[in-house]
This record gives sequence, C-alpha cells and structure tokens, in this order.
Amino acid sequence: MMPDFLNPGIAAIAAGIAVPSLLLLYFLKLRRREVDVSSTLLWKKAIQDLQVNAPFQRLRKNLLLLLQLLILAALLLALARPVVNHTQRAGKLAVILIDRSASMNADDIEGKTRLDEAKRQARELVDSLDKNGAAMVVAFDDSADIVRSFTSDRALLKQAIDSIQPTDRRSRLKLAFQLAEAQAASFNPEQRGPLGPKPEIWLYSDGRVLDAPELSLRFADLKYSRIGTADAANLAIVALSARRNYERPSEVQVFVRLANFGPQPSGAVVQLSIDGIVPPGGIKRDLLLLPERWSLEQREKAEKDQKLLARDSAEFRLELLKGAVIRVELKEQENDALRADDAAQIVVPPPRSLKALLVTKNGNLWLEKFLESANLEKPGVVLGAQYEKQIGETQQTEYDVIIFDRHQPTGLPAAGNFIYFNAVPPRSRIEAATENGAQVLLRDHGVLDWERGHPMLRHLNLRFWVQETLKLKVPLDAQVLVEGRQGPLVVLHRDGRSTHLVIGFDVNVSTWPTSATFPIFMDNALQFLALGSDMDVRQSHQPGATPRIPRHVLQQAGADLKRIKLTDPRGNARFVNVPEAGDFALPPLDRVGIYQLDPPLPQYEKIAVNLLDPEESNLLPIDRPPGGAGESVAVTAGKSRLELWRWIVAFGAIPLCMLEWWVYTRRMHL
Amino acid sequence: MPVESERKDLLLSSEFMARLDQLDILSRKLLAGKMKGERRSKRRGQSVEFADYRNYVIGDDLRFIDWNIYARLDKLFLKLFLEEEDLALYIIVDVTRSCDYGDPNKALYMKKVAAALGYIGLVNYNRVSVVAMANGIVDETGGLRGRTKVARMIDFINRLQPQGAGNLAVACRRFALSHRQKGVCVVLSDFFDKGGYENGLRYLSGGKYDLFTVQILSPQEIDPDLQGDLKLRDVEDGDMAEVSITQPLMKQYKANLNAYCLAVKDYITRRGGTYLFASTAVPFDTLVLNYLRERGLLG
Repeated sequence: MMPDFLNPGIAAIAAGIAVPSLLLLYFLKLRRREVDVSSTLLWKKAIQDLQVNAPFQRLRKNLLLLLQLLILAALLLALARPVVNHTQRAGKLAVILIDRSASMNADDIEGKTRLDEAKRQARELVDSLDKNGAAMVVAFDDSADIVRSFTSDRALLKQAIDSIQPTDRRSRLKLAFQLAEAQAASFNPEQRGPLGPKPEIWLYSDGRVLDAPELSLRFADLKYSRIGTADAANLAIVALSARRNYERPSEVQVFVRLANFGPQPSGAVVQLSIDGIVPPGGIKRDLLLLPERWSLEQREKAEKDQKLLARDSAEFRLELLKGAVIRVELKEQENDALRADDAAQIVVPPPRSLKALLVTKNGNLWLEKFLESANLEKPGVVLGAQYEKQIGETQQTEYDVIIFDRHQPTGLPAAGNFIYFNAVPPRSRIEAATENGAQVLLRDHGVLDWERGHPMLRHLNLRFWVQETLKLKVPLDAQVLVEGRQGPLVVLHRDGRSTHLVIGFDVNVSTWPTSATFPIFMDNALQFLALGSDMDVRQSHQPGATPRIPRHVLQQAGADLKRIKLTDPRGNARFVNVPEAGDFALPPLDRVGIYQLDPPLPQYEKIAVNLLDPEESNLLPIDRPPGGAGESVAVTAGKSRLELWRWIVAFGAIPLCMLEWWVYTRRMHL
Repeated sequence: MPVESERKDLLLSSEFMARLDQLDILSRKLLAGKMKGERRSKRRGQSVEFADYRNYVIGDDLRFIDWNIYARLDKLFLKLFLEEEDLALYIIVDVTRSCDYGDPNKALYMKKVAAALGYIGLVNYNRVSVVAMANGIVDETGGLRGRTKVARMIDFINRLQPQGAGNLAVACRRFALSHRQKGVCVVLSDFFDKGGYENGLRYLSGGKYDLFTVQILSPQEIDPDLQGDLKLRDVEDGDMAEVSITQPLMKQYKANLNAYCLAVKDYITRRGGTYLFASTAVPFDTLVLNYLRERGLLG
C-alpha cells in the first residue's frame, strides 16, 4: 500500500532549499574561541587517546551529517503530507455490488444505515479508480439490477451509487454474480482468457445472503467489504400467523414468534391492533428473548444461573366478525437497529362458511358424510336429474362449490367452482378419451406422483388404489395434481370464470376414502376453490413478491378493468396497467406493510407484506466473503484516509533528533 | 634603593629570609668542593673536628699519626678529622614561555623557589649557580658564595624573562658539559617538553649531581576550567589544537596528566633523583619550609 502525497510540490521546494543549506552549514567550520594554554602536549594526547579508543571513528566523522540529513528527510516527508488509503484501490475493471436488502437498513453505523456506509465506501472506491479504468454499479437484493453499466465517468458512477434505494427484500447474490461476470466479460472480451487481468467484484454487504453455498465466481476476483457492526441490537418478529377457529369462525387466533438478534438478553412488549385499534388484552409484556447467537449451553446456563425464563412467542385470541388488518408491533424499543422487522400485518377475511352442493348419481356415502362433517353453512344433496332441472344453465348459483358424483352434467352455471368424480366438465377442453364411442377406462390404477406443494395437497401422503378410472385428455394449461401410473388422476383446470377440479374415478371403487387423506383433501379443495387460496386467512407476502391475481378475480371486479391503483405502505400511489388476457402479476412489493388496490379486487383489496425472515433480521455481519472465495477488505467506519505526517514526526524526526543530540554531545572535533 | 628592595621583596621578604637562615642544603652524596667551606662534609679531612681513628698503613700522611696513642700503646693510629668543604648548588630554572602561565603564575613561583634555595645556599657558603634554561642555557650567574652575593643573585633572578620554546635535552646537555663540579642540582620546571623530558634528565641523573626536581604546575593545568568548542594555542610554539570540551575528554586529559607526572617521577626516582610535585596553588613558603625539608633537600 503506497502512500499518496497531498503536497509534494511544497516538499520538493523545501527540500531544494533545506538540503543544500544543511550541507553548506556542515562544510563551514565551526567557529572556535581561541584560548592560550601552557602546552597542547597533553590535550593532543588526550584527543588521540579518545579517538583511538572510539570504534567506527571514520563513521563518526560523518554520522552527524547523516543523522541531520535523515531528520531533514523525515521532516520533508512529513511536509509532503503522505496519506495511506484504508480502502484499496480499484483495478482496471471493477464491478461494484451494493446490497440493498432489508438488513442493510439497520442504522448501526454511527447513526447511519448500512446502506449509507456501503454507498460511502463505494464512492470512495470510485474515487480511487484508475484513470482509464471502468466500473459498473449493481444493486442487489433477491434480484439484481444494473444501476450503471461500465463507464469511466466517476460522476455518473457516483450518481448511480447515490440513486440506490433500500428495499425490504432478502439477499441473494447468485444473480448479481452472474450479471457481474457476464457484463465484465462482454465489456472486455480479452479478460476472458486466463492470462488477462481479472475483473474485480467489490461487494459491499453484511454477508447475510441466502444462497451463499451456491455461489461461485469463475473469472473474477471478489473483494468483500463487510458492512455493519457485530453488536447491533435487533428484536424481530420472525413468524406471524392468524387462523380462524374451525369450530367458531368468529374467533381468530394469532400466533407471533420473536427473535433477539442482539448481543444481550432482552425483554419485549408486543402490541396487537385491529385496523389501528388496540383491543383489550392486545398488549403482552411477559416476553423474554435470549440472543439467538448464544449456543444451547449458554442459553441453558443463563436460564439456570439468572433464573431467566425464555419466552419468545405470544398468542392472541380475538373475536373478529368482520375482515380486518391485524398488526403486531414490537413496542418500547430503544436501540433497535432495524425497523422493518418490528411490525407485521396480516389480512383476515370476514368469517365465512361455505355453501356446497353434491349432485350424485345415486347417493354416495363417503361424500355425504364428508359434507355433513365439514361444518358447511348449507350442504345440499341432489340427484343428477334434479340438478339438471333446478340449476342447469342458470347464470348465477348460490353455491360456492358444486360436486358432481358420477353425474355428467349437461350444463353449468356461468361462473362457479366445480368438483367432478368420474365425470368431466361439459363443453370443456378437458375430456374423457373415447374409443368407438365408449369411454376408455384405465383399470388397476395407482398413484405415481402428486403436486406436493399445491395448497390442496400440502402435507398429504397419497397412497391409494383405484379399480378403474376415466382416461383424461388434459389441455396444456391445465394442472395435473395427481399423476397415476397410467395417466392423470386429478386435474385442476380454469376455464373462463369457472374452476374445475376433475377426479377421474369414483371414490367408491378406490381405497382413497378409507384413508385420512381423503377428507383433508376434500376440505382443502373446498377452501381452495371457494377462497382461491389455501388458508382461511390470506397469506402475507415476502418483500419483493409479485402476487399473481387470477383472471377470474379480475373478471369478478369488472370486465373492462384497464388499470389498477396500487398504494404502497408509505402512501405513494401508482397505476398499473392490467393486461388484456391472462393472469395479472403485480409489480414487486418491495417494502413491508399494507399495499392497497383500487378498485378493490375480491380477496386482494389489501395485501400484507412482511419481512418475517430470521436470516434478514439477523444483523450479525459475516466476516468471510459469501461463497467462501475471495478476499475480505477491512474498512473501518469513518475515516478511510490516514495522514502519516504525525507518525513520521513522532517516530522518525524526534527520535532521530534525540539521537543526533546524543551523538553530538558524545563526540568531539579535532 | 627602593626599586631593588621592592624587587627583593617580590621574591623573598625579610621575615621569610630570617626563617631561611635556619636551613641548609643537604646532599645525600659525598661531594668534593673546590674550596674549604662551612660545610661538614662526609669526607674525612683536615678540619679541627675529630671524627675517628684508624690503623696506620704505609703511605699515610705522618702528620695525622696520634703520637700520644703511639706512646701509650706502641701502635700507630691515624687520627681522622671531619672535612669541611664548600658545596656546589645548581639551581636550574625553566624560563620557557609555558612557565609564564597560570594564576598564581608558574614563572614567578619558580623564581621565588629559586631565590629561596639560592639564598639558603649563599648563607651557608655554598657555591650557588642559578641557570636559566629554555632552548639551551639562556643565562647563568656563575658561582656565587657568601651572603654578600644575595642581592646579585636576586637581581639576576628578577631579570629573567620567559622566552621561546624549551628544549630540555639541549639545555641539560650544555649544562652537564659546562658544570663538571659535583653538586646538588635542583631543576624547577613544568617538564612540558614536546621533545621529551627523558633525554634531558638523562644528563643530570648521572653520578655527578645529587638531582632534585620540582615539577611546578598551575591549578589551570591540573584542573582546566574550559568549556565549549575551543581552539587551544600553545603559548610556546603557537601550535593549535581544536577541542570540544566534553566530559570524556576532560577525564582523559586528567588521566593523561596524572600519568605524565607519574612517568616523570618514576624516571627520576629510578635514577636516584628526588621528585616533588607542586601546584602553584600551594603557598610558596609551605613548599620551601615543609615539602622540601620533608624530601631531604633542606635540613
């Protein structure tokens, strides 16, 4: 690390004057006072004796001059004001990656946020860029954006760095790395070779990235500047769920789990509010959180020694007859470094019981029993003929879900949700295969695989046998939920304003009803079809999520919807154009809080975005570069430039001066 | 004559001279004088003071046979008498410029000592020669005898002026060649001779003279009061020495001075002479009345 000089010119001029002056002074003889003595005999003898006794006599002759020159050199060096930059200089080609994820909002660096510090360091790096070097600025959270592609213009680079805004999203680096490498390679193809200088990737982050094990860099050097302090206090809500009581839909249970990512045990006060009003019993004060960074032994020891009883979760029970936004907040927090995880919201829809109709060919014990026990508002059972007569092709139906059991309907209401057993929707693209006018039946069927992540099948282990089933012809846009050994068994298909769940076989000729998975599946299916989601309480989204609004929801709101107003948690509104066809994806919801849609789309009037991520809330920065490869660049907060002149004077010139004086007093002239 | 008396007083006051009257020059050797003096020599001679008897041997002077003993014992004995003779006293004074230095001044101190010794010698009817030596013999009084010559001797000493550089070797050689009579030889000098003191003292320390040396130094030479960066000028030959006075240098100077004095003393005592060191800070009468008596020059 070579020091730079702030005023070399002045030092050079001073050197030009001082060095010859010193030499001149040295060559001028010392002016001595004349004194008469009786004889110089003994004096000369004494001098000779001293000189004979002193070793390095030759050296001593010029030692004073040498020392004086050294002192002068030290002083001149100090005058030139050498500085050492803590930040390393950027090479010819630098990619600046700035983490703008949620954890970078922590204000643990002398009152500034980590993102501010990252920007400051990045600006300094830009200052140290070579004259003909180029740099690129990439901001990343769980995606990565090129804020400024390669340029040598420092002003533009700094402008780009300043323009980076914080988000509440999580951190993923893989995309940013890929982007950086690809851009560096395309900007300067010669660098691809193994001999060319590698581009440098300067990463400004706290190191908390989700995909660290997957990271690799092929032809770039990583320089990682760890941002953040290890002792930042942060209490966080890491989990929140609300659920209506199955038996009593008016009651909502809210579960909150907290975590302490600071260095010390801490109490916590949790406040729950419903649409801004704190209900009785809405504040819990008896929580005690031990630091997450403690090992199990430390926790046990603390609990035993200090009689601490760690309690990191709270439960609220509320009567809620309407839909509402439930907000849970951490209160009475003073040193909390990160605000985004101090509150979480959840949108609870109004209590609602489903209306379901079973249209059966000749009665079905399993399905009737299920409907009875499903706590439905209006379960109904009709025979096929009765259905055709009563409902048929009416425009509207009061039932949320209509279940056809072995009855092939000829007509359907204009919009609705339908479940078919051993039947297919009429006039639909999903059909049963026929051969010579007869339906093809697949016999001795079993389950091969199923969509384990689908809300209807979540946590289910499907193992059943089917004696015979329809061979279903599935259109491309339909979703096969359960795949059998010989063909699809359960298919979900959306068609216009209707949703069809087709189960190709009769439950009576399968072993499924005897399994516990059947009623769970049916319940999930009713909920899913009726509410369009898997839960009775709508899920909250991760920051950065782009919720997908199904077409039928848009159609429910009105066919000619052209654009939607999206208001973010800070009250900033923007308009989003609705596409002509297909589902509608909202733009990324970057900040935590409640987003509102206008006009309100059913089930999407309010969208809650919560951090709820222990990895982001954990503010303990990681020292090792993410991915394990690369170099950690130590940068202290605050000053990044060290002036050296004080040290030169203190440890160079002054000791030399003292040494010179000592030598001077020890030596004598002849 | 007032001037003369002042001059006389400058070297010797009358009270001091009265005290000096009690003293005589002693010699540890048998020294033959040319004339009979007041001195009881250790030689057996022809004075009236009886000393001893011894057996007659053929060839002895018949005049000294004690006939009364012969009558009584019928044996021949010779009567021995103490010889009385005069003693040659040579006082060699260093008059080089290096002696005109110091406070109290070395040259004046030497003159006083020379005058005192010369006075004692004259009073006791010794033959006194005062010799001034620098680069050779500069001047001398020739042999003086008797109290009447005191004024002349003191006048001579008063007129001595410091001059030039010294050369002890040349001076001593010249002295030894021109003064063949045995006697007591007192050398008053600082012995700062760049040519070396050994060559000179060699001529004086033969069997001829009873050598007595007094090395006289001023306090400024024994403990120089010098500071800073100096150019030291030798008052004798104008030689220059540039020194920066430092503690080690002062230490070395004193050590050298000590060693030098010891070497002179050693050289002289090994050749049968007597060495006495004197600082001009020591009062002159103390030196003469105490130190010189203690060393056996005066008695």
